[in-house]
Amino acid sequence: MSIVRGDQIFSIRDIIDSQLETRDKIEIGRVADIEVELHADGTLALTDLVTGPQALAGRVAGPLRVLFQRLLHDRFERRIPLSEVEEFGPTLRLRGTAEEYSVGQSERWIAHYILRWVPGSGHK
Amino acid sequence: MKKWFSITLGIVTATGGFLDAGTIATAGESGAKFGLGLIWAVVLATIEIILLVEMVGRFTAVSKKTYADAIREDFGFKFYLFPLLSEIIAESLLLAAELGGIAIALSLFTGISWHIWFPVAALLVLVMSWRAPFDWIENGPALFGLLTLSFVIAVVALGGPSHDTLVTLWNPDVKQGDLADYLYLVAATLGATISPYLLYFYSSGAREEGWSGSSLVLNRVTAFLGMGFGSVGSMALIVLGAIVLRPLNMNANTLGEIGLAMAKPFGIIGSLLFASVLFVTCLGAALEVVLAVSYNIAQGFGWEWGENKQPVKAARFNLTIIIFLLVAVVIRLIGLDPLHLALLASTVIALFLPISLFPFLVLMNDPQYLGNKVNGRLSNLAVILILLIAFVVALVSLPLEVLTGGG
Repeated sequence: MSIVRGDQIFSIRDIIDSQLETRDKIEIGRVADIEVELHADGTLALTDLVTGPQALAGRVAGPLRVLFQRLLHDRFERRIPLSEVEEFGPTLRLRGTAEEYSVGQSERWIAHYILRWVPGSGHK
Repeated sequence: MKKWFSITLGIVTATGGFLDAGTIATAGESGAKFGLGLIWAVVLATIEIILLVEMVGRFTAVSKKTYADAIREDFGFKFYLFPLLSEIIAESLLLAAELGGIAIALSLFTGISWHIWFPVAALLVLVMSWRAPFDWIENGPALFGLLTLSFVIAVVALGGPSHDTLVTLWNPDVKQGDLADYLYLVAATLGATISPYLLYFYSSGAREEGWSGSSLVLNRVTAFLGMGFGSVGSMALIVLGAIVLRPLNMNANTLGEIGLAMAKPFGIIGSLLFASVLFVTCLGAALEVVLAVSYNIAQGFGWEWGENKQPVKAARFNLTIIIFLLVAVVIRLIGLDPLHLALLASTVIALFLPISLFPFLVLMNDPQYLGNKVNGRLSNLAVILILLIAFVVALVSLPLEVLTGGG
């Protein structure tokens, strides 16, 4: 599958597994999967980038996605609309800062609830 | 001129990556059991690791990508799981062995049982990986790694190997029943030296230091000098084992026994020097192993990583470090002895080498990453050949070793 954007043509491989980096240069995760919409005129449009354990499990084997979905109930699955991507390449640069995305929240959770108890973690 | 200081990256990678619990265990045992009959394996492994380290430095300097980044991006998530899982299994065993090495070194200094020092060793590694900036981790062990030269001095002080010992260099004295042991040691020697964790550590280190295309000469010198330095230390220990331990019919079944090889020429000072080398190399290696796996996971999943950031700024990366150290402590609680762990880990690594290094070779030949700096045909061929030897020997010797229950 190829994606056409202006005069650039991307292969699906240019998007999936790419690094997600925010405006403030924070690496928040990698693209695990994509979501597309089938339009009435027969075109497919890429709408969202997906991250999360269910999407990753689905990459290994289809049935695993179902299994993980039953276990996790979509709790850790996150979406980023394609319109948020400012620059394509091996690293996808996003328009917002890390705070503005739900992807990579675990980073803050771990810092706040676990690492703060370890001396010298830099937690304020 | 400052960039030449980066040469320490190579020397630390060598002290920790070349010389570690695995190498000291295999070198001491090889010398004691088979004289100089395993030097050829060290030479082969040295060539391989010099080639690989030069390659991974070149890859990262030119492409600005780490090895783990590239596997995930180029081969996809499903494929990435293979090197990831093989790394986690092999390096957990190895980390437990390195912590054991630190603990045994401390017990040689103090006389207090290494069992008590083990958790202290884990804590020490945690504290260092937690707050020390990258250049500390690099320069500290590199400086003390020079102590390894004492092995070479000891060989000279003992007058070098006798004629009978020298003969074992090209005519190893392998008796009928010892073949399984010999092959197991060949595999362990190769696996202990050709450690894939070095690639993850080295490419992440090159990023932490911001290497670029202009670092290529430096990279080549570093790979050659650093790994060459480690290799000389390792060979000197084999020679020491052959001169001192073999005539006594010692099997060098513990790291403490291997230390006796240094006591012969230098007495108590020799024992202390051996303990110091064991301490420094195992500490360096433990840091490299724990960081390499954490770098690998963080980069593969696209998280923030880096030793120069406060832990909360790379929370998932730092949590991985803690968890991985806990895993090593649990492995120790199961009751495996550090020397046997080191040998086992090294052989398992040799077995996994094709999985961990196949994607690397593919990447090294991809002009998308390297432009005109891709591998030449000769180095490709050499890497593959040595890789296959390591894999076949490990495949043959591991079941034999399990069946005969030796070590």
